[in-house]
This record gives sequence, structure tokens and C-alpha cells, in this order.
Amino acid sequence: MFEVRFHGRGGQGAVMAAEALAEAAVIEGNYAVAFPFFGAERRGAPVLAFTRIDSKKIYSKTQVYSPDCVVVLDDSLLDTIDVVAGLKPGGSVVINSRDKPEDIDLGISVKTAVVDATSVALEILKAPITNTAILGAFARATGVIKLESLEEAIKRRFGEKLGEKVAERNSLAARTAYGRTVIGTSKGIKKLESKKQWLPKYQELPAGGSLIEGKTEAGLIGPGSFIENKVSGWATFRPLRDREKCTMCLLCWFYCPEGTIVRISDRGDLMTNYDYCKGCGVCANECPVDAIKMVRARA
Amino acid sequence: MITIKELPDENLFTAGHTACPGCGVAMSIRNAIRVLGKDTSVYVPASCAVVFGTTFPYGAWKVPFFHTAFENTGACITGMQAAFEKKGKKVTAVGFAGDGGTYDIGLQSMSGAAERNEDVIYICLDNEAYMNTGIQRSGGTPFGAWTTTTPVGTKVQGNRRFKKNLGEIVAAHEIPYYATLSIGHPLDFIRKVEKAKNIKGFRFLHMFTPCIPGWKMDPAKTVEVTKRAVESGMWTLYEVENGEKKITFKPGKMKSVRDYLMMQGRFRHMSDEDIKKLQMWVCKKWNLHYKEKGAPEVCEIVPPEEHHAVTEEHREMHGP
Repeated sequence: MFEVRFHGRGGQGAVMAAEALAEAAVIEGNYAVAFPFFGAERRGAPVLAFTRIDSKKIYSKTQVYSPDCVVVLDDSLLDTIDVVAGLKPGGSVVINSRDKPEDIDLGISVKTAVVDATSVALEILKAPITNTAILGAFARATGVIKLESLEEAIKRRFGEKLGEKVAERNSLAARTAYGRTVIGTSKGIKKLESKKQWLPKYQELPAGGSLIEGKTEAGLIGPGSFIENKVSGWATFRPLRDREKCTMCLLCWFYCPEGTIVRISDRGDLMTNYDYCKGCGVCANECPVDAIKMVRARA
Repeated sequence: MITIKELPDENLFTAGHTACPGCGVAMSIRNAIRVLGKDTSVYVPASCAVVFGTTFPYGAWKVPFFHTAFENTGACITGMQAAFEKKGKKVTAVGFAGDGGTYDIGLQSMSGAAERNEDVIYICLDNEAYMNTGIQRSGGTPFGAWTTTTPVGTKVQGNRRFKKNLGEIVAAHEIPYYATLSIGHPLDFIRKVEKAKNIKGFRFLHMFTPCIPGWKMDPAKTVEVTKRAVESGMWTLYEVENGEKKITFKPGKMKSVRDYLMMQGRFRHMSDEDIKKLQMWVCKKWNLHYKEKGAPEVCEIVPPEEHHAVTEEHREMHGP
């Protein structure tokens, strides 16, 4: 059995990728299952999806804990999640990144395939939806499925839901990424620490499940503590403000749904806190003097 | 009247929440609470706002926050306000409910609070479907819109019913203040929240809040789409103060509803016939709100008999 775990963000299409991969395996006469896992988070938040492929019927229904291949749709996830957790010996990793495989530190030295799927997606699909592009890289890196059956699967999956044109472009994205994939070996230097979480004992929980402002070893909790949650990894683009052009009309500050744009009245200035920018682009779209430009984040 | 410049710097709804990029609800909440200030207690029923604003053990609100069930926003804020009064605290209880929690599920509770003229602020964040549970149709979903429960098939395409006129329902309770708001009109937005803050009795703020995944649109267009909605007449900005209705923002020449629809994936399947039907509905609304402006050109394309086409179809589908 070949098991794949997808790490993506809501909206990038990890679920569709897992399904398309399963379909490709079925086209080749194998058995396959695909299913997602996500919490209550929204678009941009980390999600998981799984695919199992086998020549026999598959009875295993659990999440994939020891994958043969890990697919990472967004390299910003590497900073916060131990993507190689449970990877089988001789397994491989496929990453959407602009870096070379040799420059990527996964904590272990492992066969790594890299493709700049975001650029492929922006070129061909005009949107940073990287699922089909990364599947092209997967086909190249693992050889588990042929590119032809993958293209056929994408056409079927996407054609059914989104129409023929979209399906055609998505299969082109997969083919393009297949050609651009670079295969190498990752670095294994960094020590991966699991994120500290505050898990109170039941005696510590206040009556009625209410939560008051507090500080634990994992950081702030309670009212206003969401600032602990840095969301910059969600962004594909981020705003750059031209101070010369800016007239301080404050519309961007008013419209920003995140609180990325911070106003400092004493200095009569605005500051951009990229830790919280999800890259929606409302500020750039609404700026009356075009002082804000969106540029690729993590360029 | 306060302007954007006079708003306080501090965020009472902090950064780091997990709303989708470009979320219209997050925008509205942040600015409403900016105007309402620190002496506010917030209640949110089941909705996106409760999920992205408070995820144990984190919270984005810097004001007291409370959450229980879906259908009781009106009752909860009533109880909160009663407690504050008993304790002699000068705090405003504010309920932020979604359109599902107001149009459908929370209607009885809201109606009760409005009838008793409780001294609270009720805010409806109208994103025109149950977005939190994965885009199901609500009473606020407009005609023609795709949702998972009004899918686009070969026989029926999208929602067949028109948006419920919640404004009239709420205003019929003869409450002191009802207003519709849009994030794309900041001065009007701030003025109305500020006005509601200073009135006594049941105040209802109806906010138009685009939903990026539910409306299938570009996150950068959140504000733009609210402006198009007002220009086309899909959303009207007005207030009803003690029974007296006043239009607070008059758009220029009426724009075709098609421009608004084509910005969003949820409407892109609509046939010319359906768009015409929706246009007629909008025209009726437009004429009602902006009487003195006269019937706009876009409305005169369709003969007036077609006004009734919808009700006939409705009868066909649901019996007499």
C-alpha cells in the first residue's frame, strides 16, 4: 500500500488533490481512497488530506500516520508543522517552494522534490491554487502514477465540478509542474520542537467554562490573546505602502479585517504588521491614490 | 458625528483571528466595536464570528464575550442587559448574529426582545447564507444565488426565492432605531453605529457583510462589492427612527444588477431570464426607496406584467 499525506491550507485544494490522485490510481486499475481532515478553521488555515493506493481492496480507514510520501502545498507550513512526522524509511517529500531541495531543512535528510507550484498556478490558473501543479511534481518524484493518468483524472474531477476549460488548464498546470520539478535531498539540521499548547487540568478551568485573561508557558490565553496566533503564513501576497503617495486617509486602516495596519496617532503614521497579514488585498484595491501595491510574500 | 480619523487606535477585536482573508464580517465587527467602545458586552450565537473570534483558549475580543446557542441572541442580550442594570453598571449588551441566526433561527427571540423594547443593540451580520456550516441557503439568500442547498442543476438554477425583507419585519415592531449598513460606506457606517449607541431601547443594525468563499469572489473585492450592491440597488442604506424612514445614502444613476452579479461566482450561472427577474425585484425596491428619483432606465427594459411572473412560478412549485 502506498500512503500519501497532504499538508495544505484551506483554499489551496489539498482535498481535491487527494481525490484527483486517488482517481488517477483508479484509472490505472488500482484501488484508492481519499479523505480530508480539518478543524473549525477557515480559508488559509492548515488542513490535512490523505490518499491510499493499493492493488488490493483497502480496508484501513484511519488517518495516514506513516506516509510513503508527504506533499506540502505551502512551504510556510514547514516552519510550524513537522511535516515529515512518521515518514517511512525510503519515503519522499514533495514541496511547493522556490528553494532548491538542498536548501530545505526538514529535520531529516530525505529524498525531496521541489517545484514552484505557486508560480505555475499564478501563470496558468491566475490564482494561487497549487493543488494540480503539485500533483505533477508528485507524479515525477514518486512514479507511483503516470502523468497521463493524472491528467485524465484531473480532467474528470475538475471537469465535473468546474467545467471543461478549468479542467484543461489544471491538467496543463500539472504537466508544467511535472517538467519543472527538481529532485534532490533535503538538509537534516534543525531540531523540530512541537508547539507548546496550554492544556489545563479540569481543576484549573473556571466555573461555567469561562476564560479570563492570563499568561501560561505557552503564551497568552483568554480575551485578546489571539495575537499569539501569527497568520502571516496564510498570505501569498502582501501589501507595500508608498509613504510618498500616502495621504493618510486611513481607509486601509479602517477596511483591514485583520488589524495588520496599525495606526499610531501620536506619530500620525501607519505601520504594517505582517505577522497578521493574510494577503487579502483589500487595502490595495481600495486605496484612493494607489499607494499600496501587492507583492509576493516570502519572495 | 465622528469620522474615521476620530476613531480610537486600539483594537478591541485583536489581530490573529482565523477569519478567511478579506472577511466582510471581521471588517464589520472590528469597526462596530471600535465605535461602541470598551463599555460593551458581546454575545455571539453559533456563526463564523464565534469560530474565528474565539477558539479555546484564545479570544480576539477584548470586551466581555458570551456564547451559547443559535436561536437565542435576543433573549441572551436581554438577560445580560438586565444583569447590568441590576448591578448598576453602564454597559451596553450587543448581540452579533448572522443572517441565519436572525432571518430564520433567531427570529422569535429577536422579535421578543424587540417587542419588549429591551435596551440592547442587535447587530445582524448578513452574508446571505449559512456560511459557517458550509454555505446553505437562508432567508437572506437572494434570488438566483448558488448555495449547497440551492444547487445549479438542469431544471432549477440556484435559489428560487427572493431575499426576505427583514427590515420591514424589524421596523414593524416600532422600535426606536433600525438601520442598514455597508462596510463600503465608512462615514455612514460610523454615524449609524454611533447613533445607535446613544439611543435608548431596542436598536437593530443590519450589516451587509460579503463572504469570500460563499460568494465565490476575489478577497480583494470585499469592499468594492458592497459599493456595487448599493449602486445597483441590491442593498439600500437607510434608517428607520421611531417609525420615520430616511434614506441615508443615495447612489447616483442606477447600475444594472448584472455588474454586481458578475463579480461573484455564486451568480455566474444565472440565465438572462433570471437576471431580468432579479432586476425587476431590484427595480421595485429601488422605486420604493428612491421615489423622487423616478424609474431608472435599466428598469424600463422589461414590461411591468413580468412583476407577477415570480409568484406564478412560486405557486406552480408549491401549490396555491
